[in-house]
Amino acid sequence: MRFAKYAGRRLIFLVPQLFVVSIIVFFLVRLLPGDPAFLMAGQFATEERIEELRSTMGLDQPLYDQYARYVTNVLQGDFGHSWRTSQPVIEDIKQRLPATLELVLLTGFISVALGIPIGIYTAVKKRGIADRVLFGYGMLAGSIPDFWLGLILIFVFFSLTGILPGPIGQLDPIVSTPPRITGAIALDALLGGHWEAFKSAVLHLILPVATLTLVYMTLIIKNTRTMVEEMMNSDFVQHARAMGFKRSIQLRYAVRNALPPVVTVVGIVFWFLLGGAVLVETVFAWGGLGQYAVESVISSDYAPLQAFVLLAAVFTLLVFLLVDLAYFVIDPRIKT
Amino acid sequence: MTTLVDGGGPQSRKEAAAAEFRNFLAFARRRPGFIFGLCVVVVTVFLAICGPYIAPYHPERALPGAGLQPPSGQHWMGTDVSGMDVFSRVISAPRIDLAIALSATLIAFVGGVLLGVVSGFYAGARGIPRVASEAIMRGADILQAFPVFIFALALVGFRGPGTENVIVALAFLNIPYFLRVTRGAVFQVRERPFIEAARCAGNKEVRIAFVHVMPNALGPALANVSPGIGFAILLTAALSFVGAGVPKPTPEWGSMISIGAPNMMTGQWWTALFPGLALGITVLGYALVGDGIRDYMDPVNRR
Repeated sequence: MRFAKYAGRRLIFLVPQLFVVSIIVFFLVRLLPGDPAFLMAGQFATEERIEELRSTMGLDQPLYDQYARYVTNVLQGDFGHSWRTSQPVIEDIKQRLPATLELVLLTGFISVALGIPIGIYTAVKKRGIADRVLFGYGMLAGSIPDFWLGLILIFVFFSLTGILPGPIGQLDPIVSTPPRITGAIALDALLGGHWEAFKSAVLHLILPVATLTLVYMTLIIKNTRTMVEEMMNSDFVQHARAMGFKRSIQLRYAVRNALPPVVTVVGIVFWFLLGGAVLVETVFAWGGLGQYAVESVISSDYAPLQAFVLLAAVFTLLVFLLVDLAYFVIDPRIKT
Repeated sequence: MTTLVDGGGPQSRKEAAAAEFRNFLAFARRRPGFIFGLCVVVVTVFLAICGPYIAPYHPERALPGAGLQPPSGQHWMGTDVSGMDVFSRVISAPRIDLAIALSATLIAFVGGVLLGVVSGFYAGARGIPRVASEAIMRGADILQAFPVFIFALALVGFRGPGTENVIVALAFLNIPYFLRVTRGAVFQVRERPFIEAARCAGNKEVRIAFVHVMPNALGPALANVSPGIGFAILLTAALSFVGAGVPKPTPEWGSMISIGAPNMMTGQWWTALFPGLALGITVLGYALVGDGIRDYMDPVNRR
């Protein structure tokens, strides 16, 4: 019951956040040097197209009117037109979003599944070789550019040894794409039972996911480690120790209480991953939203870029909403 | 940061400075990471000034018929696809990278500290100052709702690629970090007795905020400058990598990696490996200096 109340309050909070975010994204277009309609329409636009855009954007209207128009359009799923793909932006996004989500979610889950146990392990076993290796890894992972690491992995596993496929997207060109169900190719192939395609899709996933995991998992490891260490020194674990509880039980108490802050870090990792995905998608020609955004920047295709920024912000707000809700559920101090 | 020497008896300023310096040396000696970081800073600053002059080849001129040569005595890091000497370009790159990162971080530092003092000092006050304080914090929250790299990409995308726009985007993005750490420090400083004393002496609130509180709340923001520069270099390289930052053929690590990217697939590893290494070492170095400074300023962590 208390959870429902909390969730409700937190959801209401989302409204003003979305409002301000939409204002900022709306004003991005105003940063354009020159006539926004002319620039948004793209270099091959006809005179009528520009006129049409000028009226849909309402550039001769007062600012609040333009904003209202923008929000109405967005709520109806109209993000404008991409002149580069000559499609509505919403169609382009629908096509590409699953590929990006596949990359981000898979990386996120692997980072959590590996990062938390490793963090706990290093918190318990200090001063071993594993600890040293992980310390060095943590140092490096924070400084190494993800796009460069991707290239190094490509060099080692593709050009040098040929173990894994090269950076040519999500599937081998000779394998036929499985019928679209979710849009994420590996998942579609699995659901439809296309084993050939599934194998190829998984092989293509390995390097981009490994790149992102290597760079961003370190945040989870570091924070888990610090939190578990802190909890192992806390009063209640010391009390358990004094009572003669086994070490495994002490650890269980510590981990249980260290988890909530780690959840916050997991949220932050997802926040970073979206940015990292933009770069890694570019390296691996992934064909997802990130690559779409970069191509839009390079060819001055503004409508898709604006939509992408809005989506990224909404994604972020939702991630942090989930984090707050999860925090509420797993924090033992807040009993429902 | 006063240093007590010989029981803290009267001493000249010069002696105190010397003692502080000895302290610093003793501190640094125990931290190889900090020394490494300082070396990186010195080398990058040196290269930013002299890099293009000591480079064996012109960093932007292609040598005819010398494309994609592997590292050799003549070309230490090989040549790229158009025949430019990779080593010359790697050591010339700090000029633009550091210029962008330094100016962006400086702007963010000044903006963040000023806003941080206002928001921290007036938090919990009444009337307009309180509204300003709250507004600043909510603004920072919203700014951080956008993933960093995506927001930088969008700002540069809409303003058009180019050095100034990269600086503006990075400065804008870094303001919240400086703001938050300064605000935290202001919270502590404003409770100290000498602030009370300044108030009793009849100082205006604004004067107290900027003359008495601010100088004493700079520490965390200063410690954040070095990692901030490293982070800015990383973002500049990332933007240039996707073609939205420093235009080619200006020697810049990120854009060099992007030039070398296709070669990585065909086996010419040297074109992208070396600029990436330089970039990674630089970012790591600046981060380590930041860690060192933070620990040095915190007496508990000094040992």
